Order: sequence, then C-alpha cells, then structure tokens
Amino acid sequence: MDVASLLDRRLLLVTGKGGVGKSSVAAAVAVASARSGRRTCLVEVEGRHTFSQLFGTQAWDFSEWEFRPGLFGLSIDPEASLREYLDMFYGARHLSRVVVRSTAVEFATAAAPGIKDVLLIGKVKEMERRRDDDGHFHYDLIVVDAPPTGRIVNFLRAPDATTELVNLGPIRTQAQTLIDMLMDAERTNVVLVTLLEEMPVTETLEGAHALRDMGVALGPVVVNRVMPERFDDDERKAITADLDPAGLQAMLADAGVRVSPAGADDLLTLAAGHLGREELQRTSRELLERRLGLPLLELPELYTDDFAEREVGLLADAVTDAVTPDEVS
Amino acid sequence: MSEVLAAARKRDLSSAIAEAHVIVCTGSGGVGKTTTAAALALGAAHAGRRTIVLTIDPARRLAQSLGLRALDHIPRPVKGVEGLDAMMLDMKHTFDEVIDRHAEDARRARRIKSNRFYQQLSGSLAGTQEYMAMEKLYDLHMGGAYDCIVIDTPPTRNALDFLDAPKRLTDFLEGRFLKMFLNPGLKAGRTIGRAVSFGTGVFMRAASKITGAGVLEDLGDFFHSFEGMYEGFKDRAQAVYKLLSSPGSAFVVVATPEPPALREARYFLRRLEQDGMPTAGLVVNRVTLPPPPSLKGLSARKAGAAIAALADGGPEQRAAGELLSLHLDRVDVARRERQAVTKGLHGIDPQVLVDVPRLAGDVHDLEGLEAVGAYLYRTT
Ligand SMILES: Nc1ncnc2c1ncn2[C@@H]1O[C@H](COP(=O)(O)OP(=O)(O)OP(=O)(O)O)[C@@H](O)[C@H]1O
Ligand SMILES: Nc1ncnc2c1ncn2[C@@H]1O[C@H](COP(=O)(O)OP(=O)(O)OP(=O)(O)O)[C@@H](O)[C@H]1O
Ligand SMILES: [Mg+2]
Ligand SMILES: [Mg+2]
Repeated sequence: MDVASLLDRRLLLVTGKGGVGKSSVAAAVAVASARSGRRTCLVEVEGRHTFSQLFGTQAWDFSEWEFRPGLFGLSIDPEASLREYLDMFYGARHLSRVVVRSTAVEFATAAAPGIKDVLLIGKVKEMERRRDDDGHFHYDLIVVDAPPTGRIVNFLRAPDATTELVNLGPIRTQAQTLIDMLMDAERTNVVLVTLLEEMPVTETLEGAHALRDMGVALGPVVVNRVMPERFDDDERKAITADLDPAGLQAMLADAGVRVSPAGADDLLTLAAGHLGREELQRTSRELLERRLGLPLLELPELYTDDFAEREVGLLADAVTDAVTPDEVS
Repeated sequence: MSEVLAAARKRDLSSAIAEAHVIVCTGSGGVGKTTTAAALALGAAHAGRRTIVLTIDPARRLAQSLGLRALDHIPRPVKGVEGLDAMMLDMKHTFDEVIDRHAEDARRARRIKSNRFYQQLSGSLAGTQEYMAMEKLYDLHMGGAYDCIVIDTPPTRNALDFLDAPKRLTDFLEGRFLKMFLNPGLKAGRTIGRAVSFGTGVFMRAASKITGAGVLEDLGDFFHSFEGMYEGFKDRAQAVYKLLSSPGSAFVVVATPEPPALREARYFLRRLEQDGMPTAGLVVNRVTLPPPPSLKGLSARKAGAAIAALADGGPEQRAAGELLSLHLDRVDVARRERQAVTKGLHGIDPQVLVDVPRLAGDVHDLEGLEAVGAYLYRTT
C-alpha cells in the first residue's frame, strides 16, 4: 500500500477520532479524485448535513447528484435505505402504509442497529458494483465519510453480526457479498485520519489494530493539521540553550525592534510552548511510523478564518501532490 | 454583542464549583469535556467540598493520574487530593447494575442478561449511553455522600443528545414497536383494533422474512422479560431531568474556538435557556491567547522589517527573527479565534465565558488539571 495508489481503490472508508477532520479529509480526497478525472461519489452516512454546509450547496438527500463536475454527492439516510430495501423485496404496494413503515424503521434503528449498518453498506455496494451500458463501472471511486473509530469496527462487522443474529432471509444472502467487498484489499481501504496529538494517535493505533484483526485493508494514514516546523536544529538550540532575555533584547534592538525585558522573556516563553508542540508532533509521527508500518499522508494546518469549499480545495491540492509521483527533473 | 461577551469574560466558574450540587460538562466531541470536568472537580475539592467526578472514556494517562485503573464502577479516592473521588463510567456495566437492581428477581435478571439481544441493545439503543450516565448520577445523588457531583458526558454526535436521552428512551419504551411485542393479544395473533393489527401483521410477516424465523420470538421474549421495569426507567429518567433542572445544578458548555464546535455550543446554550435549565457558562477551550501586555506595542510593521533583517544572520539571529514571526502569527490566530467566537455566539449571552488556552502538551496529570483550573476559576 503506497500513497500514490490511494485513489486507485473502488471504495475508501474514511474514519478517525471525533473532530480530527474525517469529513474534511473525505471531501478533500473526493475533490482530488474528481480532479484527476475519476468519476467520484462522496457519501455521508450520518445525516448531519456536513457536506452541504461545507460546500454551501442545497441539502443532500438519498439521491446521488453531481454537485460539482465529476463529483457526486449522496447522503444515505438509514431510514431511506430501509424503505428502499423493503420496497425492493416486498414491493412498495405492501409496505407503503405509514404505520408499517415507521414501525419497521423503529425496529431496525432501535432494536437491531446492525441491520441499519448493513443497509448502509448495502447501498454503497450497489453503487460500487453499478455498471453503465458500456460495461464500465459507473463510479471510479466512492469515498465514504464513515463513522468514527469508536464505531467503525461494529459498523464494518455489521454484515457478519447480522448473519449471526439473523439466520434466513435476503439480508443474510446479501451480507456475504458485503463482506466480500469490505475484505477485498484491492477494492476497499479504510483510511484512518489522525492528528499528531496523544489521544488521536492512541486511538489510531488501537483502531488500526482492531481493523487489521478483522481483516480490512488499511490505506495510508492521513495526518491532518500538521504545523510546519519553524525552527531548524540550530535555531532550536539557540532558543533552548543560548538565548537569554537580555541577549534577545539586545539582538532585537540591533534589528530595530525595542522590547522590554519582560517582553523578551515572554517571547522566549512563547517559543518554549511552540517548541513543545513541535516536539509532540515529532514524537507522535515517530510513534505512528514505528507502530503502524503504513505510509503517512500529511495535510497542513490551514490558518484561515473559515473552513469551507476553498479550504477543502487546498487540502485536495495536498492530496493531489501526495498521490502524484515526484517528477524527476 | 461583543459587550455581552466582554462582560461574560469578566466572570468565571468559581461560584459553580463553590455552590452547585451537580455540574454537567457538555459539548461536541473532543473539545475537552473530560478535561474540564476533572479540572472543575479538582476545584470543588479544593474548596473543601466532598466531590466526585464521573468520567466517561478518559484518556488512559488521565485515568491513571486520577487513580482509575479498571472499569470497576467503584468511586476511587484521587491520590493527593483531599475530598476528591473519581469514577469511570462504563455503559454496559451500568446497564447490568440497573437490571440487577430492578429486575423482579435474580432469575429474571439472568434471563435478561443472557438474551442474545441484550448485549447488542444495551450498547446501541438510542440514548442508552446518556441514559445510563443519568442513572449513575441519580444513584450518586440519592446516596448523599457527595456535596458536588461533576459529570462528564459521552462523545455524542450532537450535544443535545444528552438532554434528549430520557425522552427518547421513554418514547421508545412507549413506542409502537414495543407494544407489539408486549401485547399478548398480538402475540397470539388476535386482532385488536383493525388498523393497527393490519399494519402489525404485515410488519411482523415482513420483518420475519428479513430476520428469519425465531429471531422475532427471541426479541419479543427479551422485551417481555423487561416487563415491570419500564415504569422504573421512566420514573428515574424524570427524576434526573428534574434534578438537572433544579437550581442546584449547573451546565457547563465546552467548545473550541472553531465554527462547528461553537455552533453546537450555541444550540446547546439556546436549548438550556428554552428548557429553563441552569447554565453556569461556556468554556472556550484550547484558545490561542492574545499577546501579553509586555508585547502589545510590537507592531507588525516594525517586526516585519526586523524579521527580514535577522533572516541573514547566524542561528541566534534567525531564531530571534522566527520568534518575532511566531509572535505575529499568534496575534493573528488569536484575533481570528476571537472573531470566530464572537460570530459563533452571536445573539447569545452565556453569562460566563472562560477562555482556556491550549497548553503545550496534553492534560493528563493533576498538574495539568490545576493549570486548566486556574483559568476556570481564577482565584483573584
Ligand atoms: N487541515 C485543517 N486546517 C485547519 N482546520 C481544520 C483542518 N481540518 C479540519 N479543520 C477544522 O476542524 C473542523 C472539524 O473538521 P471535520 O468536521 O472534518 O472533523 P470530523 O472528524 O469529521 O468531525 P466529526 O467527528 O464531528 O464528524 C473543521 O470544521 C475545521 O474547522
Ligand atoms: N487546554 C488544553 N490544552 C491542551 N490540551 C488539551 C486541553 N484541553 C484538553 N486537551 C487535550 O485534548 C484531548 C481531548 O480532551 P478531552 O478528552 O477532555 O475531550 P472530550 O471532549 O472529553 O473528548 P471526547 O468527546 O472524545 O470524550 C486530550 O488529549 C486532552 O489532554
Ligand atoms: Mg464529520
Ligand atoms: Mg471525554
């Protein structure tokens, strides 16, 4: 698995600890994929309107729509999948009664959430296998903004779990084809998103372990919000060992900036805090590399006022750079 | 509007930790709920109150610092802090406890716990996690051993879930689906009211086609074995809601200075106000602090020129130049964050707003919690 082949799978499931940037990364990967000429679909599964807000579009629903050239979007709502599923197997005629539908939906979402996940994955699989009249796959790549690390294993295990709980019926038959898709390293990769901070790294390591245990292939790990390092080794040494407030004050005065002794002291304190974060980044990165054996794809921290389509585009640039082999000049 | 926030920034959470009987820390995922809960509890204990902090899924090192090793559901004294206990809340465990305590007899409790749906359901029923946190809170409250109970909330996709949990659970318990299984008439296939039975009949047939034979019977059996406990669930959910609405409680909303977290915080503050819940204030965690007074006079223009001049020097000069640009960037980031907070909270008066700066490392020991606490309840 290398970074360059990231977009060559059929299905990418993007997960990570809450808040690390799963949705932003899923969107950026999808944009990069569409830009590369791949017909791409970005899928939301938790119905939180994340992408319509991020891209500033109309609300997304259960039908795929081309919201940008070559880039499709879809929000899979478990209730809608359930309805589609029931209609498909039992005919809309029988099940169109509101009372039946809502009871069935209540049943599936409350009592047996695994069934809900199977339906979600089922919808994704249908899209993944869909072919156009010319025989080509309809989509080149499907990117799913998947549930967070805490739930991803149960989510992916749902087809398996369902076959344990449920011993007959079409769901069972379907479940195996889902398992086949999820376990095929050529088709499906799980992309873990992390930050270079303690908790997300720990959760990534644990998640990677659990996912590997269940036999799912991991793609590159996306390290989001990386701060560029400001200080090289010599400068770091100068700050930690050589510069004292008086020396700094004098040096700044030479360069035309007057600061008080307290000001010089505060600048050094600021630097110490910053160096601490750089150090944390370095040790976190080392830990990931050592323990995972997976390539890392780093995306920069964007220092912008807002986080919207433009920012997704900037992250997509970084994804494009990473998947494009270095030109030998 | 920013005057409202400026006024709120002058206050802090010291009265909450001195007076509140229950403090609930809430907010969207990863913003620092667990950290804030632990730091507030530390403050309450310092104020001489018998305090317990109920944490949910704390980072391992923080758990260790609090003396929490196992999910054993027993309050543990925190070493080195007089009057402070800590406990880790585990959903499955709490659910088991509830069943053990409230089931008619041990046999019925065993029957519930051995049902193949129990495991699945106890972890996944909408609102279960939050509901269970409330059960534990109710317990501790009734136990009377603590002056102050600080409770962390589970990372939910939506901060509002916590408040809605009891309602959702009781809705579910009263719902059509359950009735279907609990109604013996239906189970025997008799009709009661044409519309419902038609729907249910079709549903049951459809559902058993999906699930296969036997499964629905097991599920029905599972719900039946719960019979007699529903009322208790509902009563306690209501009691907790009342406890949380009483003036002795205090909600602390946690956010980070980023639009999505602020959006959640705003909804939550609104919601607390609408429901008449007691709000203690808002914590904006991991902020970039504005420059200290000593550096206020350092203008971007002067610093910019100096940075250019220093860039050609030796390592010390270059380092000094980088320090200046680090400073300028910080000024910039701090300003943006302030703007995000002002914009995100537009039209809201949180009463109290505390900024807690991003510390150099993770907060995983008492020292770190003290450092966070120093901002939450400025002792001046
Ligand atoms: N590279 C980045 N640079 C700067 N800010 C970022 C970056 N990536 C994400 N963010 C910020 O983090 C916020 C959260 O990102 P996002 O919604 O993608 O996270 P998530 O993991 O999907 O969260 P959730 O767990 O709630 O679904 C964004 O709105 C944005 O403000
Ligand atoms: N002010 C701070 N400065 C630096 N690090 C912090 C600060 N506050 C919290 N952290 C760190 O951020 C991480 C997340 O904090 P915490 O676990 O308290 O969040 P949470 O809201 O409880 O998350 P979850 O929703 O996953 O339960 C932890 O690693 C914690 O040490
Ligand atoms: Mg998201
Ligand atoms: Mg937490």
